[in-house]
Amino acid sequence: MEWKDVFPVLAGGLVILVIALVVKPALLAEPVSGPGPAKPVYVPPTPVPAATPFPEEGAAYTRNFRWTAIDGGVHTTEVRVPEALFAEHRNTPRLNDPLAWGRYALAEEDRPVLEDLARRIAPPTGNPEAEYFGLMNLIFFVQQVPYAHDNSAESYTEGVLPHYAVRRGADAEYPRYPTEMLVDGEGDCEDSAILMAGLLDALDYDTVLLRYPDHMALGIRMEGFSPYYAKYTPKYFDYGGKRYYYVEGTDFAWVNVSTDSTARQGKPLPIGDTGSTGIQSVKSQTPEIIPLRYIPAPAEYRIRPARLPAGGA
Amino acid sequence: MRVVDLKGSLKLPKINVDRRDALVAVLAAAAVISIAFCGWTLFIDYTETSRVAAFSRHVAASEADLFLLSGNISSHMRSRPGHPSIAECDAWMRELGALADYGRGLTSYHRQVIAADVVPEAYTGSQSAYTRALDNLNRAFSLWSSAAGAYHTGAYTAANNNLAGADRAWKDYITAISDYDRELRRAEEGEEG
Repeated sequence: MEWKDVFPVLAGGLVILVIALVVKPALLAEPVSGPGPAKPVYVPPTPVPAATPFPEEGAAYTRNFRWTAIDGGVHTTEVRVPEALFAEHRNTPRLNDPLAWGRYALAEEDRPVLEDLARRIAPPTGNPEAEYFGLMNLIFFVQQVPYAHDNSAESYTEGVLPHYAVRRGADAEYPRYPTEMLVDGEGDCEDSAILMAGLLDALDYDTVLLRYPDHMALGIRMEGFSPYYAKYTPKYFDYGGKRYYYVEGTDFAWVNVSTDSTARQGKPLPIGDTGSTGIQSVKSQTPEIIPLRYIPAPAEYRIRPARLPAGGA
Repeated sequence: MRVVDLKGSLKLPKINVDRRDALVAVLAAAAVISIAFCGWTLFIDYTETSRVAAFSRHVAASEADLFLLSGNISSHMRSRPGHPSIAECDAWMRELGALADYGRGLTSYHRQVIAADVVPEAYTGSQSAYTRALDNLNRAFSLWSSAAGAYHTGAYTAANNNLAGADRAWKDYITAISDYDRELRRAEEGEEG
């Protein structure tokens, strides 16, 4: 064997090396396994068009209310609710989760009716004392709307339980939109709390719903509330760094509105007074606080940086 | 009849090997073996390096996409209106739902790509931890999406429960990312050692 016989062997080895180190890795840098998964693209949500307001003209329910204000004077007012709006509410399924009932108080469709009513009862003045009397006037207005149980057919304008009333044995649950309560002219605890919340929100007051196992009331945000006339310690609850005072919506005298009605006459109660309600849970328990504007948001949402393997991109 | 007697005639030819030829043959064989050994070693090393590089590229792509998404999520969280109308609350939740759906798709995509990587044995721990991190993120985004869906049906309690589950999944993701960093360090220190 001579040197010339060795060269082809060495050349063959080199060719194998080149193929192994250059050609193959170049060809197989990415795994060849057909088309991989498709990378997703962000699809923004479709905007929802704003609700069309109900026309002022056209068929409407007209209801008259009469109540005693904080100064002892008797006030009256008339409320007009478009029939189409009322019919739409009646044909809307109810929300079973009380945590979502702030949606009723803030319903956009009811806003024009509530703003008009709230400004008539408590016209903005810029004077703090007058503002407070306006606020109390509004609260007293709602408190004196007659109380009626949800399972009482009489408490509905049509004289029958609405289609979407949720029946629980002999009982029923039907949280009303504010304008539904105004047309029906009566309602139970959550209806009053919702109506009061809607009216107060229309005047830019910060309110929450206070939910007890057997009752619902309203919380109104106030700072340093300590009225000179109060013979009680005003009850409040702190939530989200804010202080909300208890406001009863449905305390009632044990007197029926009329001989042919089971609805009871509502009775005014001052802000923060829980001792006079006669509802045991209100006196002894802490309510679940339900904000009207509710955006459930995650607590954790930040991506942590991960170190890349050395020799990478 | 003649019979061929092979016993006497079949003999191996005598090969005359001189020392020079024998030396050349031995050297050639040694050279081939050396080249083959070096080539194989280099090939293995190159393959492992390229596999780690591919894994690293995929992790980098995943991180880049996740950080873009994270920026969008953070800016969405900061955009929470202070005194919104119901329509604004709904729009905010719809956007959260859209981000969650995108996040779910993105984590699923990168998980598939990274899980398909063939990495050296030393890196399997970090690969496994990273895919676990992506799985947890995927679960968190799925729960966000469910929360947005529940919100839009007025089931706020269910939405809250989903978000609580998502927060737990997010914590699991953070744990998995820590595991990934630890495994990666171990793999790289092992290589250096």
